[in-house]
Amino acid sequence: MARIRLIFRVLVFVILGGLFHYVLPQHDVARITSIEVIRMDFSSVNRIFFAQPDSAAREFATRDIRLINTVRRKAFLFGFVRREAEGVMVYRNEDTGWIWPPYFKFDSSDLQAEAADSISTAETPKWVVITHYGWRNRFFTIFPNAIAIRPVSGPDATVIPWFNIFFFVFLVLAWAFLRAMWRQFRERTVNPLLEDASDAYERVEDRASETKGRFRRWLDSWRSKPRR
Amino acid sequence: MALVRLVVFGFIALSVVYVAVWLYSRSVRREKLEKRWEAENPGGDRTARDAYVEKGMAEYHAGLRPKLILLVYVIPAVLVVAALIATNWN
Repeated sequence: MARIRLIFRVLVFVILGGLFHYVLPQHDVARITSIEVIRMDFSSVNRIFFAQPDSAAREFATRDIRLINTVRRKAFLFGFVRREAEGVMVYRNEDTGWIWPPYFKFDSSDLQAEAADSISTAETPKWVVITHYGWRNRFFTIFPNAIAIRPVSGPDATVIPWFNIFFFVFLVLAWAFLRAMWRQFRERTVNPLLEDASDAYERVEDRASETKGRFRRWLDSWRSKPRR
Repeated sequence: MALVRLVVFGFIALSVVYVAVWLYSRSVRREKLEKRWEAENPGGDRTARDAYVEKGMAEYHAGLRPKLILLVYVIPAVLVVAALIATNWN
């Protein structure tokens, strides 16, 4: 039982952790090398890793995807510890629209223009912070979605993830509030009901044991008599 | 259409939160009144206690606090607008 509970907890933790890692904003320090548009033919495998078509456009099985090609500083620990190494990274640039994830992004075309404005070479780099969510996976052909591009002074610029700080503080508070609510509900509503129920049950049982003798005898009178 | 969906389902979800918080706040207030009465009149008369609690609850419902629970609807709406501006502002 304890083992099942442990497995269940680990599973919940992994799923929630994965969801948060996918959906919450992360920041990369990068320089943009080019922008492009490719046609994507989604399959059922990678469709869920893309958002919807541009706001107010129609949905088709095939659609053009804006991409931003970059060279970014590699990093450890969700981007908190930056390494000296550099590596290429490709971001998609899609509207998230009104639903999911709730970034309410409608300005993909403008963002693409901003990206074009920041294109630079290795000799004269223009460093930017790219806020994004999502994963890059070569086997599924999926890309993180760029949300915002902000110029910074250099490759060592510090980025404070304000949104994530507030989000996790809110999560802890919400959890504490939910627990307090549940406890109040149990103490004030469930326990009195249970007490009532167990009182009623005891009363019924008392009466039952009283009547039982009579009822039993009556019932027995219907049984077939053992043969002699 | 997506906006309509967001508003409808958001309203339903927030209504669940609203009702839960409303019930919780009421329950906490009632418990507080009962405890205060017990502290002031230990082993006091039951009907007097009920009258005290009902009066306190009536005051609570007339006051500002239960109306503050409406912030459950206001704050997410403000956050959505803020996100909309923050993401799309150039």
